[in-house]
Order: sequence, then C-alpha cells, then structure tokens
Amino acid sequence: MSKSRKEKLTRMGLFLAYVVITLFFLFPIFWVLSTSLKSVPQLFASPPIWLPTDPAFGNYSYVFNNTPTLRYLLNSALLVSLTVFFTVLIAVLAAYGFSRYAFRSKRPSLLAVLAFQMISPVVIAIPLYRLFSELNILNNYASLTVVYVAVVLPFTTWFLKGYFDTIPYQVDEAAIVDGASRWQVLSRILLPVSAPGIATAAILTAVLSWSQFVIPFILLDDRTLYPVSVGLVNLQSDTNAVTLHYLAAASMVSVAPVIVVFVLLQRYIVSALTSGAVKG
Amino acid sequence: MAMSKTAGKRTWFENIRDSPVPWLLPLAVVLGVTFLFPVFEIARLSFTDASLIDEDYSYTLESYLDLFRSPYFANMLQATALFVFASVFLQMLLGFLIALLVDQGEKRGMRTSIATRTAVLSAWAIPGVIIGIIWSILYEQSAAGILNYVLSFVGFGEVPFLSDPQVALASVTLANVWRGTAFSMILLYAGLQTLPEDVMEAAKVDGANAWQRLTRVMLPLLAPMLFINLVIVSIETFNTFDMVLALTGGGPGRSTEIAALSVYNQIFEQFNLGQGAATAVLLVAVNLIMTFVYIKFLERNERVE
Repeated sequence: MSKSRKEKLTRMGLFLAYVVITLFFLFPIFWVLSTSLKSVPQLFASPPIWLPTDPAFGNYSYVFNNTPTLRYLLNSALLVSLTVFFTVLIAVLAAYGFSRYAFRSKRPSLLAVLAFQMISPVVIAIPLYRLFSELNILNNYASLTVVYVAVVLPFTTWFLKGYFDTIPYQVDEAAIVDGASRWQVLSRILLPVSAPGIATAAILTAVLSWSQFVIPFILLDDRTLYPVSVGLVNLQSDTNAVTLHYLAAASMVSVAPVIVVFVLLQRYIVSALTSGAVKG
Repeated sequence: MAMSKTAGKRTWFENIRDSPVPWLLPLAVVLGVTFLFPVFEIARLSFTDASLIDEDYSYTLESYLDLFRSPYFANMLQATALFVFASVFLQMLLGFLIALLVDQGEKRGMRTSIATRTAVLSAWAIPGVIIGIIWSILYEQSAAGILNYVLSFVGFGEVPFLSDPQVALASVTLANVWRGTAFSMILLYAGLQTLPEDVMEAAKVDGANAWQRLTRVMLPLLAPMLFINLVIVSIETFNTFDMVLALTGGGPGRSTEIAALSVYNQIFEQFNLGQGAATAVLLVAVNLIMTFVYIKFLERNERVE
C-alpha cells in the first residue's frame, strides 16, 4: 500500500470514528430536543418521529406560562451571579496569599484545601441543614450562597494560585521597592495580567454552580426559591408519560444557557480543566 | 528584618515582615464553617441514635452495628462497587480512545476533530439532574421510549432499563459514562499534547509499529496522567448523587442506591440520622484515603509547592 493511500484510509477511519462518537454524545440531547417539539400523539407514534415537521413550539410557551420554570431560571441566575462574585473575590485574595508568601503551614494548608474539594457535598449538607434550621436561616439566599461559594472555592483557589505562580515575582518586587503596597501590587499589576485566568475561573465557577443540586435540594424547602436544577426534579416528579414533552422542553430551556456559554468559551474551560493536572 | 541583597529570591519574600493571614482569612472562615464544622458534626452524630424528627438522642455505637448488620448495607456496598468500577473503567477507556482519535485528527489538521471534542464536552457541561432526566426519557419503557425501539431492530425484546434491579444498575452506569467520559478525555488529550514529539518520532524510526508505540512509549509516558485521572474520577464517581436521584431515585427497590444516595435516603426518607451519619463517615473516609494517595503521588512528582 502506498503511503498516500494509507494516509487517506487513516483519515477516513478517523472521520468514521468521529461520526460514531458525535452521534453517541449528541443523540440524547437531540432526542430530548425533538421530544420537546412534539404533540402528545407524536410522542407515542410508531415508528417514532425523529423530528416533527410541525414543531409544537407551544410546549415552550406552556412551560413558561404554566410552570415556575422561568422563576427557577431567574433564581439560578441570581445564585450563580452571587456565587461567582464572592468566589472570585475570596479566591483571588487567598491565591495571592498562597502564591506570594512563604510560611511554614503553607503546604498543609494547600493540601487541606484540596482535601475539602474531595468531600461529597451530601455529607456537609446534612449538618448544615440542622445548623441552619436552628439559626432559622434555611430558605435564605445569603446562607445558601456561602455554601455554594465553599463548594467551588477549593478548585478556584488552586487554579488561581497556579495562575499567579506563572507571573514572575520580580514584577512585584520592583513595584514594592518603588513604594507600592501589596494591595496595589495585586490590584494594579497582578490582576490586569491575570485577567484571562480570572475570566476562566469565573466561567467555570458559573458552570459548576449552575449544576449545583445537593446543596439547594437539602437547604431549601420553599418552592419559590428553587434554582432550576431542583425545580426540574420537582417538575419531573409531577410528570407522567403524557407530559413528557413539557419536561423535555423545560430541560432544554435549563440546559441552553450552559451549552451556549460552553461552546462559545470552550477554549478557556478546556485550559482550566487541564491546568491543574498538566502544569506542575 | 533587613532585606539582604545577596540572598536568593525566595528569601526576599521570607524576610518580608507582613503576614499572609489577612489574605487567607476569608477562605479559612468560609471553608471552616461549611466543611470543618459539618465533618466533625457528622462524625459526632454517627455515634448517636439521633433521628431527624426527634431532638433527643444519646451516644451509642448502635448506628454502626445496625448498619453493618443491615442487609441493605451489603447491597449498597455491592451496588456502589459495581457502579464505581464499571464507570471508572469504561469512562477512562473511552476517554483515552477518544483523546487518541482527536489528537491524531488534530495532527492531520482535521477540523472535525475539534467538533467531536465539543460534542463530548457538551455532555459534561449539562447539570447532573438534567442528565438523569434526559436518560430517563431515552430509557422510557412506554411507546415513547426510543432506545427500546432501536434495540427491537437488532432483535432485542423490550429491555426493562429502569424496572429490573440488575439492568437498572447498568443503565445508571451507562448514563454516568456518557456524562463523565469528557473529563477523562480532556485530561488525557492534554497529556497527549505534552508528549515529546522527538521520542515518538524516534520510536517510529526504530521500527516500532503503532501498537508497540502505544504500549511501550505512550502509555508509560502517560502513566502519571492516567493515575491522576483514575483517582479524581474514582472520587467523583463515589460521590455521584444528583444524576442517579433524577434517573432512578435509588430504585427499583434499593438496587441503585449507591453510597451518597443511601446517606440521603437514610436521613431524609427514613429519618435515621445516626445511621445515615455513620454511612456518611464511611464515605468521607473513602474520599480522604483516596485524596491521601493522590497527594502522596503529587508530592512524589513534585507538583505541589
């Protein structure tokens, strides 16, 4: 076999593999999209209808008008915004401390932060439920945000610490010799340079917090405060086969924001996910 | 403390008189309140007979003893072990294969490789509960169920995806692999790109075939990445909760009640706080042991400063 022919075959093989892989990963999403656009008889049609020719967009207006999905989406947006703001704020400060100071308990502290990341949120949610109900701060976005922040904080801190480490500290040194305070070094020098890293941290915090489920599931029982993840499970328990198209539409609506953010900003997310493991 | 001009760069920082405490304080407070306190609290509760509805309790070892005697405990361990082993194995295998394929395509300048990567990653970005809902729609056993329809062509009878205990565990695992493969893929893909090009080229020149290059050159070089992947994915899988809750709720019976879900059900469905806490302590212990192994490994590879 000639070399170019072999190369051609390899490319064809790769292309075929890509088709199979893409089908496996996109088909479930496609099927839910298709379900969300069907009428009830179409749901049960045999053979199944792959994509309805007369899409029932009315399912979406039903979801917005007759279920609290819009409310859930707004709740999620609020919770995610608060979480991103406070997570990035606290993580930037801590990352500066870990990156720019040498102290004896630095290594154990960093490792402790890493260990927290590995603990299942179910475990911490239970004592917090008891604590919050005693303090009467269940169903409260302020206390809930603290927990949301804590869950993503270990990852964000490690990520930003790694980012700051890549900026040579001769830069800080020069500024401090010129009389700048540490605060000025951080805000005027480090922050502008690490803007891409901070943006990545914010995007990832947003995606992870949008998915957050256990914490609000246990710490909220007021339905009007549910974020979209908990709201959907609630909607699912009210769903039967005949209302499957509404559940599908609600799912599509809740997934859309993450998918859009994700596809647009994929480059940053990929770099963040891999940085911890690849860089030293 | 005077600054020493002859000292190395590190000591310049060591000599500075201010302290890192104010910078680290907010982090310490948030993590202390939301992690340290609850972990101690759950350990304390595991030695009591507390229930969620009754405030009075006394200290006892019964929670653990009852747990070990309970037939559900053995079932839970078995279901968790099967779920974790199968998920981690399949997810890493698939992730590695896809990473290899995408990497090969990218080296040939095929733009479809990036499209494939995006498709895999979008599954990862979807919230766990919605993944559970999506797969419950696919697994639907009424006439609206698409997987059963497709399988009927290949000569399968109706598959009881979510109503048969053993099949349900496999169904949950498949959905979890669909979700988690992206993470393994992206880590290993990044690992592949760090492989030294000249080493791979040298192996080729020396006449190693593709299989030998994979097993004798690539895999040994990727071993640290594979290990990191293994530990992180195992911990993640152990802690799986939302996806399974939405897909099966632990059923049918308690056949898919894996560890984290079992903690929740014991406490919030059966109000048995003591026993649920005991299960939670075991879950945390497993997490911490794996984290310890992970840290030891990172230290050996000098990845922690």
